[in-house]
Amino acid sequence: MAKRSVWSDNRFWQRSAAWVTGFASILLIWLTFDTIPQITMGTDADLKGGVTKRVPGPTVINYKITYEMDAKRMHEIPVIGDKELFFGRDDWSEEEAGALLHLGKLGSQAKNCMDCHTLLGNGAYYAPDLTKAWLDPAWGPEGSMQAMTGKSTKEEAMAEFLQHPSTYPTHARMMPDLGITAEEAKGLVAFLKHMSSIDTNGFPRNFGRMQGAVNGK
Amino acid sequence: MFEPFVDVVPSFFGWLNQGPLTMTIFLHTIIILPMIWIYKQEKARIEKEDA
Repeated sequence: MAKRSVWSDNRFWQRSAAWVTGFASILLIWLTFDTIPQITMGTDADLKGGVTKRVPGPTVINYKITYEMDAKRMHEIPVIGDKELFFGRDDWSEEEAGALLHLGKLGSQAKNCMDCHTLLGNGAYYAPDLTKAWLDPAWGPEGSMQAMTGKSTKEEAMAEFLQHPSTYPTHARMMPDLGITAEEAKGLVAFLKHMSSIDTNGFPRNFGRMQGAVNGK
Repeated sequence: MFEPFVDVVPSFFGWLNQGPLTMTIFLHTIIILPMIWIYKQEKARIEKEDA
């Protein structure tokens, strides 16, 4: 009788498959629990105490957010700075800010922003990526959007645009009028500001260098 | 070889994933090494049965 090979033996493959499947299952369960602290939202106390969280608390809307190159991590990260007025206030409480963000989140779902835009990697690339939209220089004091909408702050310009997008020719693919109310627009801007403060490991890549880009080129 | 830990929220997998290929090498090691052990056990069993 020819010598039997381990490679053609059923038991070897059965035991190997059992090991790989069992180990991978345990690893996936572990990774799931490992993710929880990474995606848990911070609190107002964290922000006041300077504790860095990947997802800051809702009161981050009271602070100035910038996007800065991190030499160690080799990509841009959102940096939470000094207090900044948001719709004329920098004392939004945790409850108020949370309610505003919640309204914005529900609004983004009700108006189906992801039909055209991308939020945190989910959605479409028909329209600009909104993950870091708050940090887009076009909405800043030097950008075109404040002049176009006749507003003097970033949040007011964004809220005005969201209520009457078809009035402002911003993009070759113009945003349709979605019937967004003033209060919903405020919530959506808060939602976008909070989203821009989330540490996404530099996603979307090269956002900081998109300044001056025309038609995505 | 060892880079400073720069993750926002520390975790075991973050620690493991700081250098190039470290996670891949680790996972392959703990998946493949037991298979070598299983191979040797099965080989011994077959030889015993054939003897």
